[in-house]
Amino acid sequence: MLALDLVINGLIIGVFYALMAIGLSLIFGILKIVNFAHGEFYMVGAYTYTLIALAFGVPPWLALPTAFVAGVVLGLVVERLLMRPLYSGYISWGFLRDEYAVIVTFGLSLLLINLVDKVIGPYAYKGPPLTSVSRISLGPVIVSGHRLVAFAIAVAVIVIVALIVRYSYWGRQIQAVAQNRLGASLAGIDTAKVSAFVFALAGGLAALSGGLLANIFNPTPDVGIFPAVKSYVIVVLGGMGSIPGSIIASLGLGVLESFGGVYISYQYRDTFGLILLILVLLFRPQGLFGERVREV
Amino acid sequence: MGPASILKYFGCAALAVAAGLFASAGGAVAQEPIKIGLTVTLSPPGSVSQGVQVRDGAEVAVKMINDAGGVLGRPLELIVEDTQGIPEKARAAVEKLITRDKVIAVTGEHQSSAALAGIEVAHRYNVPYVNTNGWSDVIREKGYPQVFNPGNFNSRVAIAAAETIAAMGAKNVLAFPENTDYGVGLAKLIGDVLKEKAPDVEYRYETLDRAAKDFLPALLPLKANPPDVIVEIMLPPAAYILINQLYEQGIAPTSKTLIYDASGIADYPDFWQNVSDSAKYMLVFGLYHPKMQLPELGRQVAEAYTAKTGFEPNRLLFQAADSVFLIAEAIKIAGSTDPDAMIKALEGIKWTGARGEITFSTEKGGYKYHQWLDVPYVTFQITDVNQPVKDTKLVQEAGQPIDLSLIERPN
Repeated sequence: MLALDLVINGLIIGVFYALMAIGLSLIFGILKIVNFAHGEFYMVGAYTYTLIALAFGVPPWLALPTAFVAGVVLGLVVERLLMRPLYSGYISWGFLRDEYAVIVTFGLSLLLINLVDKVIGPYAYKGPPLTSVSRISLGPVIVSGHRLVAFAIAVAVIVIVALIVRYSYWGRQIQAVAQNRLGASLAGIDTAKVSAFVFALAGGLAALSGGLLANIFNPTPDVGIFPAVKSYVIVVLGGMGSIPGSIIASLGLGVLESFGGVYISYQYRDTFGLILLILVLLFRPQGLFGERVREV
Repeated sequence: MGPASILKYFGCAALAVAAGLFASAGGAVAQEPIKIGLTVTLSPPGSVSQGVQVRDGAEVAVKMINDAGGVLGRPLELIVEDTQGIPEKARAAVEKLITRDKVIAVTGEHQSSAALAGIEVAHRYNVPYVNTNGWSDVIREKGYPQVFNPGNFNSRVAIAAAETIAAMGAKNVLAFPENTDYGVGLAKLIGDVLKEKAPDVEYRYETLDRAAKDFLPALLPLKANPPDVIVEIMLPPAAYILINQLYEQGIAPTSKTLIYDASGIADYPDFWQNVSDSAKYMLVFGLYHPKMQLPELGRQVAEAYTAKTGFEPNRLLFQAADSVFLIAEAIKIAGSTDPDAMIKALEGIKWTGARGEITFSTEKGGYKYHQWLDVPYVTFQITDVNQPVKDTKLVQEAGQPIDLSLIERPN
């Protein structure tokens, strides 16, 4: 029964990881940079959901899409003000773009954490549950009601995003820009708009993840650091820019941490993913589903 | 007017100006504030919740002292440094306070790891260090003459926890300490004391990462064989997540398993907005309860704190206020801010603060050195959701044994 418990809870937490990681993977696929402020989009979503529900009495089911919208808006603003210089035609960015991206996104992360700490305060706030049922029995396994509902929402959103990226008009544009930005531009695709769309979507997904988990991991100004670190590991494990890779890696990591934490050592739970990351980088650096790329 | 008169007038004017200059200079020296350094956690990963309460408590005390005329005619000035609960930052903070800000004493620290780092610097520079809330016994065992401890200490909690567990007849006890000097130190001490007081109790502890968010892998194995008592030795926000996840999984509270909060977090301002149903039936080691008898100073401090923050008073407020008051008293007794004179004053002090009459033991070689040994504590039980501390059930009054007949359990 313990094994079943661990599998179910591992998959649940893995889905939440996937919701965070997909956005990061999309950003890397389009912009070829790592967004070190990704965890803070999560944090903004968590606070938006919690404070809108607690302070204004908005029902949780309405507060959740508000969190998503907050992440989308933040993503649009960040892309327009901070990320646009990366591909707006400045020749000098050719050899400085990676350093620029690291510095700017790190700085943004510090800014958002300290801004929330000073404006909202340092105390933790538990987000309201999405259901009044505190525990649900799935056979011999007990899962919290909110966790199960959040899981279902996360799965639905992941499926929708995967379908959008795979089959929709916007999704085909995203794929084109991810493959070759210049080629896509020559084909008439507005790459700046696509980048803005991706950043907004990524921000929205991370914020939604924060809102869904606000009842489980009580939001504090630094609450985004933990899921962000997991996301970086997952994106590399799954293959940077690969959504299926991110999903598989997330589920695998969730289950691995569950079993490893019980049967090996709970103290070293977070290191299992990092050890796996090192092994993957050594033997398959492109990740599980990534493609080897050679630049000329 | 002849030349002599002119000279006389100029001479008088010059004397008047000189006298005025001396007077204003003397007045400026008299008004120069006495600087006290306050090291607290105001940003993660340490407990910001604690840091804010300690800072607020210290500011209340400073205001009360300054409104009453200051110390030796001089106002107190608090210089606050954020340590983030990280030892390296605490060390740097104390170094900066002493060498750059020229504080005459340091206080405020509420996390043992940070306190252990800060006292090394205070010891090196021979600056009095009043440890507000670092519970680790190691802080006392160092034997540094500069360090004074008017706050709680792990041995006291260990004895209280072990006596409570033994009285409850628990046979299987599991502690969840956070991965800090405070957490692991207290978990080990509880085990040591239990071996003496209740040798048939099966006790173990599992360290949890205070920065982690998901403790389920550590909790799920308990479902098959839940313990009788789970001892929580963590600080917020990780403590809140642990309590919630124990409840979600149906592990505690149950008719078999109760949670014992050894960290005394139930009176924190953000407690109920983070735990809701999960905290009902929790037994709490309490360093403050509204039903405790407080000295007049304590009542004044409580009123001032509530007026300033809008929150009900809690134990950190009183500990922080006492820390500042003690420094002020030491200066008064010493008649100066000379560190050796202040240290001598503190060693011999017998003074009624916000929580009771404070004296410091001079017994060297263990946790008793420069420790206020009679820190009052109680044990209370939360019997309803969103219950204010004043409405909780006092199952053990200060200085009395626990009354088991008062303990409630879920059906």
